[in-house]
Amino acid sequence: MSCEVLVLYFAKSAELADVRSERICVAQQTTSQQLWQEIVSRHPRLAALRDHVILAVCQEYVSIGDQLLLLQPGDEVAIIPPISGG
Amino acid sequence: MFAAEDTKSQDLLIQNLENILNKIKQNKTPFVNENFQHFLNTKNGYLVSSLVTEFLQFFDLGCTMAVFQPETGTLHGSDRGNLAHVLGIVENENTRVGPLLLEVMKRCQNFSSRGDGSSDSSLPVLHNLVTELPLLEAKISLSNKAILRYSRQLVLPELGVKGQLNLSKSSVLIVGCGGLGCPLAQYLAAAGIGRLGLLDYDVVEMNNLHRQVLHGENRQGIPKSLSAATTLKQLNSEVEYICYNMTLTSKIALELIQQYDIIADCSDNVPTRYLVNDACVLTGKPLVSASALRMEGQLTIYNYQGNPCYRCLFPVPPPAETVTNCADGGVLGVVPGIMGCLQALEVQKIASGIGTSFGQFILMFDALEGRFRNIRLRAKNQNCAVCGANPTIGVLQDYEAFCGSSASDKCRTVHLLSKEERISAQEYKKILDEKVPHLLVDVRPPVEVDICHLPDSIYIPLDKLEKKNLDCLNHLKRKLLEGRLKTGEEMSFPVYVICKLGNDSQKAVKILQDLSGKELGALLAKDIAGGLMAWSNKVDPTFPQY
Ligand SMILES: [Zn+2]
Repeated sequence: MSCEVLVLYFAKSAELADVRSERICVAQQTTSQQLWQEIVSRHPRLAALRDHVILAVCQEYVSIGDQLLLLQPGDEVAIIPPISGG
Repeated sequence: MFAAEDTKSQDLLIQNLENILNKIKQNKTPFVNENFQHFLNTKNGYLVSSLVTEFLQFFDLGCTMAVFQPETGTLHGSDRGNLAHVLGIVENENTRVGPLLLEVMKRCQNFSSRGDGSSDSSLPVLHNLVTELPLLEAKISLSNKAILRYSRQLVLPELGVKGQLNLSKSSVLIVGCGGLGCPLAQYLAAAGIGRLGLLDYDVVEMNNLHRQVLHGENRQGIPKSLSAATTLKQLNSEVEYICYNMTLTSKIALELIQQYDIIADCSDNVPTRYLVNDACVLTGKPLVSASALRMEGQLTIYNYQGNPCYRCLFPVPPPAETVTNCADGGVLGVVPGIMGCLQALEVQKIASGIGTSFGQFILMFDALEGRFRNIRLRAKNQNCAVCGANPTIGVLQDYEAFCGSSASDKCRTVHLLSKEERISAQEYKKILDEKVPHLLVDVRPPVEVDICHLPDSIYIPLDKLEKKNLDCLNHLKRKLLEGRLKTGEEMSFPVYVICKLGNDSQKAVKILQDLSGKELGALLAKDIAGGLMAWSNKVDPTFPQY
């Protein structure tokens, strides 16, 4: 079973992906690592950010690894690299 | 006869002078002044010696230069444009009639006798060292003056007299008096915080004023910490302001931070963010951290009541080349303004005892969409190198080495090309004057080309060149063909690449070199060192700087 989720790209990730948000189809049951992989396969330049982002699903932090996710259609996935300007 | 006598006495004079010189040379011991040498190696030392050199050159005092230059080991004085730029002096017909030193002096005088109504018997004191501060005294009650002043917030049940008294005995260190630090300091001062530490390594520049709202036009070249405190004193003279005109380093961070109750990170670079985080963990201080870039902002409170620290979330710094600063990326002034105000709110809530709700949340502000999002964060990372169960960081580190970047937001200078692959702005001017056939490629993003550009350049943004965008390559190919037809020669066609500062242009030359001989035909690509800013400084002072 797959479902459509909304991916939001912030800061550097929006620049590297060249898009600020998009809907993508992913497996409903997946791991956070697989979800990240799916996003990186669409935007290979994001790979450089792997250890430097907060990945959030439905406004909750998930660590990129074997954490199991049960996604629902319309769920919001956010890629949040830190910004350091002031 | 007179002529012969003259020659004779001249010879005698020269002989005597030579004797004296030889004697001096024999007795001369090498000049060693360690303080002086050390000073020259600092940024300020460089500026001072440059100012002196420029002063001597301005009045053609070549004879004194002969002594001054070998002693200082500097030969950089001729570059007045660059020096003026570093000092934030925008040259006009008034400034050009005298040495730059005069302009610096005028600014100091203007600053100390500003006509903004301040008696300034007590200008803020600038600290260049961390000194032990006396403890802030807790007041038992509010004065009538304070009651009147803070009445509109005193009647809030959430704050009340108790909260106000708590504010007045709290001290806050603001790291960075820029776009975030200005509004933060302003609201904390207005609210009646007890003591504000204001730290910044930089001086006020014209391009700061769109977002750093405590400074002003007459403050250019003045340390930001001092400028901020001067404005804040007008707003609330009851608050104690401590100015630190310095970079926060590992050497001083613990000593400084342990003297304050709450630390606010308003800095503009990654190494400082890790340094402030680690120092807060090691001294047990809450860290109210915000950042802003372009049209986005972030806010989190780290190391507060068992919640995660910055390292728990970001154990390793991002590769330096993936970090964008405000100079490169731009920032809409009001965005750090909003984030700084949110910081002020959270600092006040912690200081007054109301407490904060951001311990395990990051607030994201999307200014374009007009949306705030609160993302719940992870719990403290038990493996965190500084706040985990078995921390490996017990003392502060070398954060510039850790992050691979410097603790400032100044643009990094990259060195990708050899000297032979680059030309100076002046050399390019000569090529233009002599009408040597060539192609000038401007690789800045379109938004920057709109600000200013050189005539007769073609525009190929670096990111399009990197992606080998077909339209761009065809455009380039066409222009090269036109050029080659004009010269009718088979030689490698000269292509000069320009950008703002001479970093991106080097990357572009590398790409063009790869393409040379292949689809683009033979070309000889070089970049213009220092870019359009060097053009403005060294060739055409009427060309705008940004
Ligand atoms: Zn931690």
